Amino acid sequence: MSNTMNFLKRIFLVDILKGLAVTFRYTFKSVYTEQYPKEKPKLAERYKGAPRLNNDPETGETLCIACDLCAQICPEDLIVVGSQRDPESRKKVLTHYTFDTSRCLFCGLCQEVCPTNAIELTQDFELATYSRSSMLWDRERLEKGWDRIEFGKNYHK
Amino acid sequence: MIENLIIYFLIPFIKIGAIVLILSGAIAYLTLLERKLIAHIQVRLGPMRVGWHGLLQPIADGLKFVLKEDIVPSKADALIFTLAPMISLIPAFVVFSVVPFGPPGMFEGLLRGILSRFLESASVERIVSNPIASGGFVTDINIAVLFVLSVSSVGILGVILGGWASNSKYPLLGALRSSAQMVSYEVAMGFAIISVLLYAGSLSLVEIVQQQQAGGWWYFFIQPVAFFLLLVCGMAETNRLPFDLPEAETELVGGFHTEYSGFRFSLFFLAEYANMITVSALAVTLFWGGWLPPFPNVPWLGFLGIIPPVAWFLIKVFLILYLFIWVRGTLPRFRFDQLMNYGWKVFLPIALGHVILYAAILAI
Repeated sequence: MSNTMNFLKRIFLVDILKGLAVTFRYTFKSVYTEQYPKEKPKLAERYKGAPRLNNDPETGETLCIACDLCAQICPEDLIVVGSQRDPESRKKVLTHYTFDTSRCLFCGLCQEVCPTNAIELTQDFELATYSRSSMLWDRERLEKGWDRIEFGKNYHK
Repeated sequence: MIENLIIYFLIPFIKIGAIVLILSGAIAYLTLLERKLIAHIQVRLGPMRVGWHGLLQPIADGLKFVLKEDIVPSKADALIFTLAPMISLIPAFVVFSVVPFGPPGMFEGLLRGILSRFLESASVERIVSNPIASGGFVTDINIAVLFVLSVSSVGILGVILGGWASNSKYPLLGALRSSAQMVSYEVAMGFAIISVLLYAGSLSLVEIVQQQQAGGWWYFFIQPVAFFLLLVCGMAETNRLPFDLPEAETELVGGFHTEYSGFRFSLFFLAEYANMITVSALAVTLFWGGWLPPFPNVPWLGFLGIIPPVAWFLIKVFLILYLFIWVRGTLPRFRFDQLMNYGWKVFLPIALGHVILYAAILAI
């Protein structure tokens, strides 16, 4: 019985027709391809990318209180926080802040330890540059985002 | 005199020019259709960058082929090496001189409209009443089927010569494979066509379509097995994917055209796609009623006549081409011994038995 069934199956090309049906179904499935430079991929919610130093949205001043916690927790020692004590208010004031993206492993410990949410790893992942020196981000770049400074505009949006 | 000149010279030339132009465009966009369709089968997008959804991709590809360096390997036989792609391409186009795109007398009104401005009415009538001059085909010869078969097998020579003249291992192996394959499948294909000829009683492609009209049934409904045989053998003849052993990339680097690049390669490439269209057109003419709408003699289906005959022909050819690409996206390549087994041990006996069966039925 099964032999005759197999014979009939082979005669009427059942398996080939099944295969054709599968490929026909797939023709109308929505595609997986991402048109990357044209449309940005959807990243995971907690994706950790380019660092940013946040400003207070109301006053426009930096949120960083120069506590140096990020620099201390960083496993790669790539954050350098420069501060000065204001002689009048006796408060620490941020003078400079560098972040070396060439060594960063995007562990996110800095943003976790930050008491004021000043340093934050954003969803921006386009970090490639033409020189090693431009991988060292200074405070201006960290505050404004790097491509705005390099190209004058956010060119790929 | 002038009428003969127009009938036998001017009108065929215009038709040939139109067919060559349209066919080249069709081939170019067939490659795009194939890439897009295969891409969507594999849940990809395919070409997207050149033009809207890659619509200008074939033109960009053509430009690339033309601009590439023209390389003839130093150990190759230069003359045959240059000749081979042409031998492969020209027959693929020549075949279309007998393929009927529309019924005889299709251009009657158009011809009368144009010619009556220049000629007196008696000679206009003489030209218009010539069924070949006003028909939707270049010419109608009474051995058209044989013509198609013989001319299209000349194309195989191009493949063999190309592989031989390259003077290199892989092209030679590819050429040997393709000649063996094409020769063995030609036999079964011939028998599949013979059973149609038994029914139609004519070798003229126009006549075969007219017979289908008179019978009221496309031959597909009478001889589905023969259609299937023709389709499979057509795939083997044109080196399409389940049977693309001559150019099996994974085994033979590139098959018979390994040493070819640039424009010469594009000629082989064009020939392959032109052959695909040829086989589809042949299958449509023999089995799907050419320019006829479905069930041409059923009165309540008469509204299908709104679509012009040429459009019916093109729609059917498109569907068969779609099937070709669809099968390519589905099936893996056969092994060479399987290919030969199917050719000689399966398809040939089926085709022979089919012919004998139908001959017996017709005799009774």
